[in-house]
Amino acid sequence: MNRVLAIAGVVIRELYRRKDFYVLFVLTALITLLLGAVNFFNDPKIVRYLKEVCLLLIWISAVVIAVTTTARQIPSEKENRTIFPLLAKPVTRWEVILGKFAGCWLAAGIALLVFYLFFAVISESRGGEGTPAPKAAAATQVAPGPQAHDDHAHEPGCCNHAPASPNPWLVYLQGAWLHWMMLAVVIAMVLFGSLIFAAPSSNATIMFIVIGGILLLGEHLNKVALRQTEPVQTILQILYFAIPHLEWFDLRDFIIYDHPPVAFGPCALATAYAAAYALLLLVAAWLVFRRKGLTT
Amino acid sequence: MTNVIEIRELRVEYPGRNRSEPPRVAVDGLSLSVRPGEVFGFLGPNGAGKTTTMNVLLGFVNATGGEAFLFGVNVREPIARQRIGYLPELTYYYRFLTAEELLRFYARIFGIPRAETDRRIDALLKLVELESVRRRPIKTYSKGMQQRVGLAQALINNPDLLILDEPTSGLDPLGRMKVREIIQRLKQEGKTVFFSSHELGEVETVCDRVAIISQGRVREEGRVSDLVAKYRCDLERVFLKVIGYEPPSGN
Amino acid sequence: MKPVASPWAWLALLATAVFSIGCTLHPRTAAWRERAASGSILQVVLGEGRRLFANHFFVRADVYFHSGYYPSIFDQAQKPAPTAISGTHERSQDHAQEHERQMAFLGPPRDWIERFGRHFRVTEHTHLAHGEEREMMPWLRLSAELDPQRVETYTVAAYWLRTRLGKVAEARDFLREGLRNNPDSYEILFELGRLYFENDHDVVRARNLWELALRRWSEREGRKQPGEQDLFSLEQIAVRLARLEETEGNLARAIQLLELARRASPAPAALDAQIAELRAKLSETSTPR
Repeated sequence: MNRVLAIAGVVIRELYRRKDFYVLFVLTALITLLLGAVNFFNDPKIVRYLKEVCLLLIWISAVVIAVTTTARQIPSEKENRTIFPLLAKPVTRWEVILGKFAGCWLAAGIALLVFYLFFAVISESRGGEGTPAPKAAAATQVAPGPQAHDDHAHEPGCCNHAPASPNPWLVYLQGAWLHWMMLAVVIAMVLFGSLIFAAPSSNATIMFIVIGGILLLGEHLNKVALRQTEPVQTILQILYFAIPHLEWFDLRDFIIYDHPPVAFGPCALATAYAAAYALLLLVAAWLVFRRKGLTT
Repeated sequence: MTNVIEIRELRVEYPGRNRSEPPRVAVDGLSLSVRPGEVFGFLGPNGAGKTTTMNVLLGFVNATGGEAFLFGVNVREPIARQRIGYLPELTYYYRFLTAEELLRFYARIFGIPRAETDRRIDALLKLVELESVRRRPIKTYSKGMQQRVGLAQALINNPDLLILDEPTSGLDPLGRMKVREIIQRLKQEGKTVFFSSHELGEVETVCDRVAIISQGRVREEGRVSDLVAKYRCDLERVFLKVIGYEPPSGN
Repeated sequence: MKPVASPWAWLALLATAVFSIGCTLHPRTAAWRERAASGSILQVVLGEGRRLFANHFFVRADVYFHSGYYPSIFDQAQKPAPTAISGTHERSQDHAQEHERQMAFLGPPRDWIERFGRHFRVTEHTHLAHGEEREMMPWLRLSAELDPQRVETYTVAAYWLRTRLGKVAEARDFLREGLRNNPDSYEILFELGRLYFENDHDVVRARNLWELALRRWSEREGRKQPGEQDLFSLEQIAVRLARLEETEGNLARAIQLLELARRASPAPAALDAQIAELRAKLSETSTPR
């Protein structure tokens, strides 16, 4: 375990000594603050668009950090030949894989922590959520004609108003936690990819497409399959059940729209799912790496 | 007493670039043994199989046939590498780390206690004369300084066997002399050194025994003085004769 | 080879060349700069693709209104019309039920992945309320910024601003901006009239705006085939204006407007009753005592 942590330590050092993280954080902060400065109808309490943009930037930044950091780990060890003095020590290849994974995952976790703290500060500083409507609004509302209704939301038998989250910090925490769990799967996937694809750039590009595809289409593949003919239908169904369902870890809508947190049970199950999937990919990576000849 | 290195009928094949190309034999039934406290020179022309043999000893490449042992432990076991130090021919260490951080990292890999790590880092950086730049990132080091960092990392675990792959290649005469001094010092301390080199003068100076390999097989093995006596010429000519080089007539 | 001139001479030569090319290109870029100055930076950068983004942002406002409960393009059920966020259109009880039916797009889960996945997506149909409607505003503002010719954006935003957020002045300014961009829009004129009537209680202005709205409707829609005309808007304008005239005592004009509305209404029976009522009132007032 000490060896795994030692390898992970080097990866974390690499992250905070490189500029990628700082650039992405500054970019996220700058865009968010600029958007926060825009005046929309003289209402300083508008916050959800800011939350949405900030969270989108955080998601993009986190995936970029995770993929680019992980994709270069083993290829750059080979390219710079640092893998040789490392493997000449009493280190197993499984420990190398695990150390690289732990390093990238912890590094991504540190980055997420910084990003989500910034997000929490920004969204809470705007405040004003769940506040009652200004009295003026009700006062100026003129009763419409006999046919008219202001809005279907007020009609009997219609849907409810959005429930205000009892504690937004709990949802933030849950959102950040599941986000981090998702990155575990992403990092394991990229690590596996880095042993299949020779160039880090091709690995990173393929992984960005795969991750984006899963996040956008993953949950809909079963619906798409229904409209296809065989054998495409079966292929899509297999894909649907085989791919890691990363979209489960996206609680952005819960955070943006102030929904209450996900129940503990599903959250724990999703965590276990991420852990199992990450482990599966790490074992696959080890199987590829363990017999791989490395020539100096 | 167990040999430090024991190689028996080692065979390594690399697969062809495509299916039609037959596998390439890099090492073909190589056997040799290195005894404790020896400085052993591993010589051969380019492509003879020196680096492949070292790669097998270090676990980078799996042997197709035969066996290799370090301190009696099969090289397939990572624990076999607990007592060795390795200096590759050309390596760029983690460029974002300082020399001190790099040594601390490798010390942690070996599970060396913190106080002992501090002591060894101080001693090693003094030995390789990098004390004054210990907190500078490695990326700012010259090639010679990087090679010295490499030597320090190879010695961090106070190894009983040091494997050096052309340790003086690319170094200036002063750098070479320093490496030679360190090898001599290790020899005096009773350490075993196994190294490959093309610098035959250097080998003649520091080695107790040498093995000359060609086309993946050991062609000649013995004490330097015995080989020189047997062939009645210096080590360079011995090397050329053993590998079958025929000088042009008239030379 | 010996250098033909010193590096300073080369530098001066290159600087002169750059300056000359710059001067030559300057007038040619005037057209581009005019275009850039004509609209916002987003309009210039996105070109005609801005309409696509404008539509996306308008839908985004609708998503916000439903607190994230919204069908994707893959969901089977019909998407709710984007006008769902619009409170400007009159609604009936049936409409609410229809909306509920449309929004029941999830259906039972097809497999365990979908069942489990629903824990992590918004599955409750709720609407913004208690001033939270403000959260839609940035998207509507952006949509208008990108596509100033999209009239609906102005009317919808103005409706929420004045009725739920108490921002009558902002709603008025936004509608005026919409009117500047769409001078022929009877929809904006109608909404602006509502604002003056309902919020400012300025009957004269409201009447003028609604009369103008009727004229604009005739100019734009009158030329169209009967089946293609926007009769819904005509009915809205005519009924509102009739109410105004009724309260102001202009019963003859009110009857005239209700008859106009009757021609446009899909259910004229209710209007017939009102017309009859007004006629009775008119005959009462016109009969000399």
